[in-house]
Amino acid sequence: MAKKSTGLVASADTQAIVKTSDEARPSTIIGKLLNNLQFVRGRGALEIGIVFVILQLLMIGYAIVAPRDFPYLDPANLSGVLSQDIPVLGILGIGVGILMISGEFDLSLGSAIAFCAIMFIKVTNASNWGVGLAAAIASGVVIALINGLLVVYTKIPSFIATLGLGFFWAGASIFLNGPIPSNMSAKDAPVQLFVGDFGSIRAQVFWMVAIAIVAWFLLHRHRFGNHIYAVGGNVSAAKAISINPNRVKLVTFAIYGSLVGFASVLIAVRTLSMQPNSTQDYTLLAVAAAVVGGVSLNGGRGSIIGMIVGAALIKSLNDGLILINADGYYIQLFVGLLIVLAAVINRRVEGSAS
Amino acid sequence: MSSLLRVANITKTYGNNTVLKDVSFEINHNEVVGLLGDNGAGKSTLVKIMSGVVDATAGQYFWEGQEVENVNRTETERLGVETIFQDSALVPQMSITRNIFMGREITNTLGLMKLKQMDTIAEAILDSVVTIEGIKSPKQLVSSLSGGQAQAVAIARAVHFKRSLLILDEPTSALAVRATEALLDYLTQLKGEGVSSVLVTHNLHHAFKVCDRHIVMNHGKKILDLRREDTSVEELTAAVVGGAEGIRRFREQGSF
Repeated sequence: MAKKSTGLVASADTQAIVKTSDEARPSTIIGKLLNNLQFVRGRGALEIGIVFVILQLLMIGYAIVAPRDFPYLDPANLSGVLSQDIPVLGILGIGVGILMISGEFDLSLGSAIAFCAIMFIKVTNASNWGVGLAAAIASGVVIALINGLLVVYTKIPSFIATLGLGFFWAGASIFLNGPIPSNMSAKDAPVQLFVGDFGSIRAQVFWMVAIAIVAWFLLHRHRFGNHIYAVGGNVSAAKAISINPNRVKLVTFAIYGSLVGFASVLIAVRTLSMQPNSTQDYTLLAVAAAVVGGVSLNGGRGSIIGMIVGAALIKSLNDGLILINADGYYIQLFVGLLIVLAAVINRRVEGSAS
Repeated sequence: MSSLLRVANITKTYGNNTVLKDVSFEINHNEVVGLLGDNGAGKSTLVKIMSGVVDATAGQYFWEGQEVENVNRTETERLGVETIFQDSALVPQMSITRNIFMGREITNTLGLMKLKQMDTIAEAILDSVVTIEGIKSPKQLVSSLSGGQAQAVAIARAVHFKRSLLILDEPTSALAVRATEALLDYLTQLKGEGVSSVLVTHNLHHAFKVCDRHIVMNHGKKILDLRREDTSVEELTAAVVGGAEGIRRFREQGSF
């Protein structure tokens, strides 16, 4: 192979350790494509992406053949259910997913949502929604940073620390509000902005897309994203190159917290009320969305597109089962199977990669 | 020859356990130094202190004759120390390019990485600094590489960023014979380009071939520090295996 003189290489005339074989690098378009596919696969989102597409084709096919029995494409379903459920879980999945890539968990998510939403409602009722939004996001960040500081400085596994803190924040919501629902009126809330109905699509979808784009640039293109992967993938390698893992993890906790705060506003504006302890399901659903989307439970691997596909897969499967009038138990059964399946695929990807 | 790095009276204790006792030595400019010793001799701790990952309990650290007060990884990174730890130099889940530029990403003013440029440079590094058999693309994940390939990528990274002191912790343990030979030759060559190296190894024959000087550690103490021409493989073996007693017996009896 011809030596390239870039001027950046330490010594162009250095003797090679072992010569590269030219054939190793693909030159044809198909070869390059297959090569790229391997890189995608290494990030764990390929298999579940295929599952997602197949499921959507089946459901859309069924909906076209029998729109009465299976109104999956009905505007009422699209705007009433799918485009409200998927974005909220998608945003939470992005927050949890980024945190998991850095090697940490936050199992206080469900409690934090209730706390942030109650803050949003109370502050909005007392002044206006702009201040309420700021209060919700600030609450999310503060809660996540407290969790993060505890985890980073005591070295308690985040699984345990945040499980305990989850109960604490749930208690804090009740302390703040009492066990009754906290309500707000539609005229005070920015309904159109956050949950506006545009026929088959809701405003939440735009919010998710905007957040996903920013998160994508942060995680996949920004220097800081590279450090998140490094810290989650091999903390001693990151330290050896003078990346400070504690700082990276704390900033990641803060990013996660801001997304939890924002998602809690979307939830509160949709229902115009919030009751403490009513949002606990989100904790494991958000972790599930990330895991289904190929985020490693051990840190260091995952992608934004995977997290969104994970959320979309869980929520659309859930919706499809409701539409065929499946019993609530079956819904849990299928979603549970999906999560286990995804974890098995993840394990295999990790096994084959290492 | 002037000293690049000098450590003086380094002691390190973990609780009641003293792992390094009053260790002093220097690494000169344009020098390859072998750091030898049995398991538990204190080599790894010494390497971590030299690279700023672990704080010494007591002792001083001099760089180019100047004392460094706060030795931490950020500081040693700035000075130009690069350590290639066995098995932990790279992040397996990341691509070769992202590993090479980890912590030193080429970015625009917004902090967004210039991946194309990084890939091009990474490819050039793989081609001409330390080329490695079987790497298809710098976008390949490190987890898909063999131990030897990964080691070579870590070394290539250190070379590319023109570090002044390269510390290699058991670099040849994962390498094939041919790659080991090439790596050792390479260290000799780097010396000519102003990069000093410390080679931590069990393999005395590897060390003896390329190192200008040998330091032998035993139970946390430095027991031998001699230039290659003043010692022999046999004496080094005696020191590693028998400690200070081994050296004494070797010098008295010509064997140990």
